[in-house]
Amino acid sequence: MHEPAVAAVLLLAALLASVAGMGWLALSMSVHAQQVWGATLSANAAKRLRAAGALALFVALVLCLAVDHPTMASLVWVMGLTAAAVGVAMALAWRPRWLGVLAPWVRVRAAGR
Amino acid sequence: MMQSFRQAMAWLHTWFGLVLGFVLMAAFFFGALSVFDREIDRWAIPSTRFEPQPMPSYEKILRPAFERMQPLPATVDAMRPRVNGPMPGRFDTVVSWSAYTTHRDPVLQLFAGYEVPNAKDPEEAIWADITIDPRDGTPLPNDRLKVGSGFFYPMHYGLTLDWKNLGIWIVGFSALMMLVALVTGVVMHRKIFREFFTFRPGKGGLRSVLDLHNLTGVVALPFHFFFAFTGLLIFAATYYFPLGHTQLHELHDLHAQVEARETGLPHERAGVPAGLADVDAMVADAQRRWEAHDKAGDVGFLVLQHVGDANGYVSVYRAGTDRIALVGDGIHFKASTGELIREDPAPTATGRVAEFLTGLHLQHFRHWLLRWMYVLGGLLGAMCIATGFLFFVEKRKRQHAKQGLQGARVVDALAVTTVTGMVLAALGILFANRLLPDDLPARGDWERYAFWGAWLLALLHAAWRSAPVARGLANPAWREQCTMIAVLAAGAVLSNWITTGDHLLRTIATGYWPVAGVDLTLIAGGVLAALTAITLKRRAALVSTSPVTEAETSHA
Amino acid sequence: MSRTLASSPTPRLHLAARIAAAVFGGYGFAWGIVAAGASLMFAAGMDFHDAEFLASLLGVLAFLVVFLWAFAARRLWVVWTVLAGGGALLAATGSFVQSLLV
Repeated sequence: MHEPAVAAVLLLAALLASVAGMGWLALSMSVHAQQVWGATLSANAAKRLRAAGALALFVALVLCLAVDHPTMASLVWVMGLTAAAVGVAMALAWRPRWLGVLAPWVRVRAAGR
Repeated sequence: MMQSFRQAMAWLHTWFGLVLGFVLMAAFFFGALSVFDREIDRWAIPSTRFEPQPMPSYEKILRPAFERMQPLPATVDAMRPRVNGPMPGRFDTVVSWSAYTTHRDPVLQLFAGYEVPNAKDPEEAIWADITIDPRDGTPLPNDRLKVGSGFFYPMHYGLTLDWKNLGIWIVGFSALMMLVALVTGVVMHRKIFREFFTFRPGKGGLRSVLDLHNLTGVVALPFHFFFAFTGLLIFAATYYFPLGHTQLHELHDLHAQVEARETGLPHERAGVPAGLADVDAMVADAQRRWEAHDKAGDVGFLVLQHVGDANGYVSVYRAGTDRIALVGDGIHFKASTGELIREDPAPTATGRVAEFLTGLHLQHFRHWLLRWMYVLGGLLGAMCIATGFLFFVEKRKRQHAKQGLQGARVVDALAVTTVTGMVLAALGILFANRLLPDDLPARGDWERYAFWGAWLLALLHAAWRSAPVARGLANPAWREQCTMIAVLAAGAVLSNWITTGDHLLRTIATGYWPVAGVDLTLIAGGVLAALTAITLKRRAALVSTSPVTEAETSHA
Repeated sequence: MSRTLASSPTPRLHLAARIAAAVFGGYGFAWGIVAAGASLMFAAGMDFHDAEFLASLLGVLAFLVVFLWAFAARRLWVVWTVLAGGGALLAATGSFVQSLLV
């Protein structure tokens, strides 16, 4: 469909969107927020992160569909979700602070659990 | 054990997962390698290290090659029991001649099927196949083992156990058990969303292993489910539920007759000899027709049916390089005149579903990112099974040590054999492939012996070193085989350099990625194995004998 | 509600019988699904290979479901009756439909 360079950029963007999406979904869970910031977020902040995560995953799907025939784009998207989830899980296991990059507006709150 | 639904499912997951897990390791690992089967073939057969080629001219290249083909003596011998009477010296009545190529194939594989006179089954056919260089028609010697597509690939779906298709049945049953393990796994591990990203390496022992087992299972759950399921579907109608040739063969034959009438593609020979028109012109015509439908594409599959007969026809199929279907958009011509008989209509809804499900598994499309993600999925599956073994042993070995039982030891030795041992076997065949003399007769057979020999040695080593497991400790074979993997992987890369001169700097500079990719993967695997061996050595040095508390896990 | 193995006189035999029911009974039942499914869908006008494929798909899923059920079910005789009996009935349906069409 597109020339290879354009396709590569779009697919890279899709992967990044998937990583952001999976990351935000992880951060919306209190156990992982604890790992990254040492504190849990408010219920509203968690809800916003979950919404952002879902939206990012949807954007990834749209980007995949822009590159390939739908029969292949759907597979690229699903496998991209897997790869992104593995990446986020490994970050949480070994370098949890790095995931803070995805939500730099969050300030660590010592109180308010 | 079976007191509740959850307990029954947990029992199933543990015991059927354990036993069939050994087979599933092979299916997942060799399946992951099969994603790049043709690239491994390039590494293993240096004379094929050139660029992928399109389907060549019938008149210049294919016809002379087809006309020379005859079944191998071994194939003729295998056919003897199915024939009433003597076997002919030559087979001349052609059922079909065909050639199949994808965007990754430098060499071309040709198939020829012949009628068998006096066969017990009137539909019986005997087959021959050769591989040629499509640029000039030179055949590849037939004992060159295609280590990727001719060994690793059949290994993953049938363990190369061909007697009565036993291997296909064993792998099929384990694929079904994979589905069972996935469903029962979800039943056991209800918090699949809450613990979706959970991996706690710091906790050590059972908790970490279980976390990794759950993670690799859940995060790639769609992949694991769909690959096991579609794998079963691919073989279902032919091997597992062959109703079309048994209970429902009358319906099958009825359909074949009706279809032959409706499509104008005769099922049988007429018995009247006829010539062959210009096939290259037919292929060009087919390509023009695809372009007219906005579907310009390469020829993926060319079939000549009932060659030499008045009922003969030529079918040209478009390669599914840009979509999930393997081949499609077939256009059929009358062989003797070249006139169009039929353009295949768009597939039915069910046909599209079948194309999607089989195509997603067999992957003949061009999409390098998706291919690598498939490798990731396969390796995650292998990790899921391997961590399952580790969990099983870890959970029981201290208990077995106290009770003087050997169960954990046996499972651990088998686990070493199917995890690191299997990698050693794969490296063994690649290493032998480079080191055996080029002109050794039956070279392919010797390469296979090297594979099975390496695996057997890994089993013996694992068993011999497993005594500590019976005392509740770790088996040193794990780190010893990791070290061997690192050494053999380096050896394989070096042997490619020494025997072919295609070292990494040259293959990367010229952009010949099939060979560069295999070498780089070997190096990456070797490095990973070396790091694992070092970590395991370090851990062994700090061995503590504190008992594992029951609170570490609440699973069955 | 107790169907523990310990309450059975020969627990090993009972387990073997359950495994046999799941594997062989399950296969027979799946075969029946494919037979009835393929023949009925073909009779309804579907292309034969499409019907064969769809029926195989249902057969594989059916095998998965009944395999799990064979281990979850309380009474083994129910499992054998449904799988062997049901499988035979479905297979017979397939042959019957075939006889009407050929």
